[in-house]
Amino acid sequence: MPLKSYEHCCSTIQALASLGKIEGVIPLLHGPQPCLYQNQVGSMSCRPAQLLTAGTLINKSNVIFGGEESLKQQVRNIYAKYKPKAVVIINTCVPQLIGEDIEGVIVELAEEIPELTVVTFKSGFNYPRSMPLGSDASWAALIDSFEVEPKVPGSIGIVGRTGQDAGNLASIDILLKKAGLKTFLFPVPHIDELKKIVCADTLYPIHITPHLTCKRLKERFGTESHFIEIPVGIEGTSNFFRGVADREKNQKLHDLVDEEEKRVRPEFEKIKATFQGRGMRMLLVTGPANEVSIGKIMAEFGVEVFIVPCMKNAFYQQEKEIMQKRYGATFIEDDFDTLEDLIEEIKPTVVSAEFQAQVETVKTFIPTIINMVYLCEYGYDYALDLGANFFKTIKQPVYEKWQSLMAQYGG
Amino acid sequence: MTGNGKDFRMQEIHTPSAFEGALWTTTGVRDALTIFHAPPGCYINQHVNMLINDWTLELYSTNLSYANVMQGAEDKLEEVMQKVITKKQPKAIFIVTAPSVEVTQDDVEGVASKVGFKDTVVIRPPIGGIVSDGKDEALLRMLDIMESSVPKKERTVNLLGPTNSTFNWMADVCELRRMLAGIGVTVNTVMTAGATVDEIKRAPRAGLNLCMYPYDCGVKAAQEMEKRFGIPYHDEIVPIGFENSARWLEQVAAFFGIEDTSFVKEEMKSALDFARANMFFTVTFEMTAALSFDNNNTYAVGISDFFKAEAGVGIVMCSVSSEVAAERIKKTCNEVLLNPTIEEKRDMYVSSAPMAIFGNFYDKKVSMDEGFKNFIFADIPTIGYLSTENCPFMGFRGAKYLVQSLVNEVYMGIFLETKGEMEGAISGGVVPWEIEAEQALMKIGEMIPHFVRATALKKLHLVSEQTAQERGTNVTLAIMQQVADKFTPTKFKAKFSAVFEDRGNGDETPDEVASSPDGEDVPIESLTFTMPWEDEVKDMLEQIPAPFRKVAVSNTEAYARKHSHNTVTVEVFEAFREELGM
Repeated sequence: MPLKSYEHCCSTIQALASLGKIEGVIPLLHGPQPCLYQNQVGSMSCRPAQLLTAGTLINKSNVIFGGEESLKQQVRNIYAKYKPKAVVIINTCVPQLIGEDIEGVIVELAEEIPELTVVTFKSGFNYPRSMPLGSDASWAALIDSFEVEPKVPGSIGIVGRTGQDAGNLASIDILLKKAGLKTFLFPVPHIDELKKIVCADTLYPIHITPHLTCKRLKERFGTESHFIEIPVGIEGTSNFFRGVADREKNQKLHDLVDEEEKRVRPEFEKIKATFQGRGMRMLLVTGPANEVSIGKIMAEFGVEVFIVPCMKNAFYQQEKEIMQKRYGATFIEDDFDTLEDLIEEIKPTVVSAEFQAQVETVKTFIPTIINMVYLCEYGYDYALDLGANFFKTIKQPVYEKWQSLMAQYGG
Repeated sequence: MTGNGKDFRMQEIHTPSAFEGALWTTTGVRDALTIFHAPPGCYINQHVNMLINDWTLELYSTNLSYANVMQGAEDKLEEVMQKVITKKQPKAIFIVTAPSVEVTQDDVEGVASKVGFKDTVVIRPPIGGIVSDGKDEALLRMLDIMESSVPKKERTVNLLGPTNSTFNWMADVCELRRMLAGIGVTVNTVMTAGATVDEIKRAPRAGLNLCMYPYDCGVKAAQEMEKRFGIPYHDEIVPIGFENSARWLEQVAAFFGIEDTSFVKEEMKSALDFARANMFFTVTFEMTAALSFDNNNTYAVGISDFFKAEAGVGIVMCSVSSEVAAERIKKTCNEVLLNPTIEEKRDMYVSSAPMAIFGNFYDKKVSMDEGFKNFIFADIPTIGYLSTENCPFMGFRGAKYLVQSLVNEVYMGIFLETKGEMEGAISGGVVPWEIEAEQALMKIGEMIPHFVRATALKKLHLVSEQTAQERGTNVTLAIMQQVADKFTPTKFKAKFSAVFEDRGNGDETPDEVASSPDGEDVPIESLTFTMPWEDEVKDMLEQIPAPFRKVAVSNTEAYARKHSHNTVTVEVFEAFREELGM
């Protein structure tokens, strides 16, 4: 049984950060003071604007008598102040425990402010073992508010991971557009554009996380999804595009992929050579699901990778199988007490982990990258950039300096 | 909640709660181990947010699921306790409960008793409690592991109050320790940041307790320690500023009957030399500061006293979260805000126009948005701040550092703000000035600090003449107003605007400039719009004098973006006009 959690963050923050990147949507945190304070401070670094969180500050009397009235009032206040198109109530642990009737509040608000969309979902310990699901669950809630629109024949929807992907999917979108495919991206930075995902004929999720999102789009709008693989690295990106090309019967996309491979292959081979003979073993511990995607990029360079996955949904199972067959990647799905235990067992030369896990790697100065800063990792060029600069990035000599100082002076 | 917009008080969200207070207090004890009896999300957030302010620290968790909480999570707690005892061999275990556990009222004490680990302390912060409630509760509970029978150690004190995530605690403790050592007094225990369990246990050895943050926390523990262990305490003087540092130290010396206070004299001699530094009064006497200390009321009291009495800095605004501190600070500052919203603080920064702002991350953001360039981090929350033993705010060195940082931050900054380009023109040529414009420039000059006045006036003079030349007119009052608004640092804008508000009806107005025959024609269709505008609003631009239309468009769009509007509608335009007082 773990003595800590090494995940990316609370699913509440994940939702807050994702929804906070969509113009026209205001997330409203329904929870007590420490929950709100922590989620506000924690999400601050990844929000581009609207740096203040709206919340309800459940107090002791709300716990006893219910906090529905406060919640309703706060939705009214938000509407009066910001005139958003949608308010997403993030229902955190304490109101879940006391059984607040959030749906009832939404029904009453719909009568009072018919022009405002209010939806809700449960975060916090509703996702105790896969916190990146906070994004997925919040997207699914938002999808519930979308209206049916006619589908655009032959169009495709690219479904990404978190709010971080909103406005950052060019590496995938450009090639598809060049191939003449009409694309709808999800997420995108504005709710009006986000809603258009319902017009896509077919969906292609590009990460393991949006499983619920795709499921909800199928349930509500009948759109089929096809998870091919995460388009990261050279082979992964090409395979994804070729998978789309085959399904959409688009030879031009195949041709474009041929061209891209010709462009990137020489540099990729050079980078791969720099990794050879170093005995690199990389332990990637649970993050915003990029332990799988960054692991895939590193494995392609010849690094032996060990991955502690943050989720085990159907998309993950498919990706895991690909990575095991293609690169011999190791997946650690059993519980462990502490990261130190895993390090002792695996003896990695480099670790990718979340901020709070660094406490354990820094004790012995093992080169560590904080996985939450390695996002938007799709496409050929991200992989080339990561590989070309990897040794510069991890600053191995600095770690070695401190290891030698530790050997000399103790501590 | 009453239903008016005022109740939408987001400021409370940036205020930590009793749960943070308790965890910050317990995790500061180096060889103890804190278990947060909580869902994993709570654990991660708390651990990460502590690590952004302090060096490195451990926190463990029971990782509760919904089912655990509903069915009782005692088993999970017992399992984690057993595991950490075996694996980590802690000197003490602190268990802090999460809000969800407080709702279900798990029998945490029962589990602790069943496991039977000797030095286990359970802290149950109250839902709705403020950060100091949590700190005080944790400090009080820690008294239970103290050894009452330890022999007294001569001339020793405990420092009560520093915890993890207290801004600058490490530097302040270091400086107070140095000062006490200067009079021959040793620090027995710091409660709690940086302490060991043994030091906590032996806290009753000290002869005196010193509350470092009496406006925030620690006094309750000091009172209880007096009751249980007979240790008196001091909480009257905040050791910030030269005089109060000296008085604080002399009070400790007097308590222990130490007659040799040559150390205090040496420090004060150095303080006097410092006060004679040419760059001290020259700058500080002209300076104003806003203090935003929502999470450190003691700093607010100490720094406002010091700045006003010993440095001559005008405190134009102070924000705190304690009523007692607010009452005290009203003696030194007219504008004391108690638990303000961030928007209320923003308004006060703009209207009080401080030359420097001391505050937290939100204050920094607001000050950047409003164009205040001089900012000194002095409080939490931050989203990442690295502190060391250097740069204290407390003690003699703290007093020096406060002045040093203020002078260095502001002095050169204001100079540079008021200068022109590196290779810019010195004069625009011979341009006649209208008398009202000259009078306005003189009045503006009176509002600029002396140390930068001449340079700033030169720049205003030059820009006014250049503007007049471009328009082919004299320098008029309207041009002066436009220049004063556009080319001066934000901190002076509010003051400058008073000059123009005071003008009588007979003065020339911007409208008159626009309607003058020399006025530049700016048709609506020639304007550049970077966001959608309703046609009706575009038509309204016709009412604005031609020379000001471009600026009206850019300012309106900036206002719209700031308030999250995608389109400039009639409502947005009117709201902006209202904000401008039009």
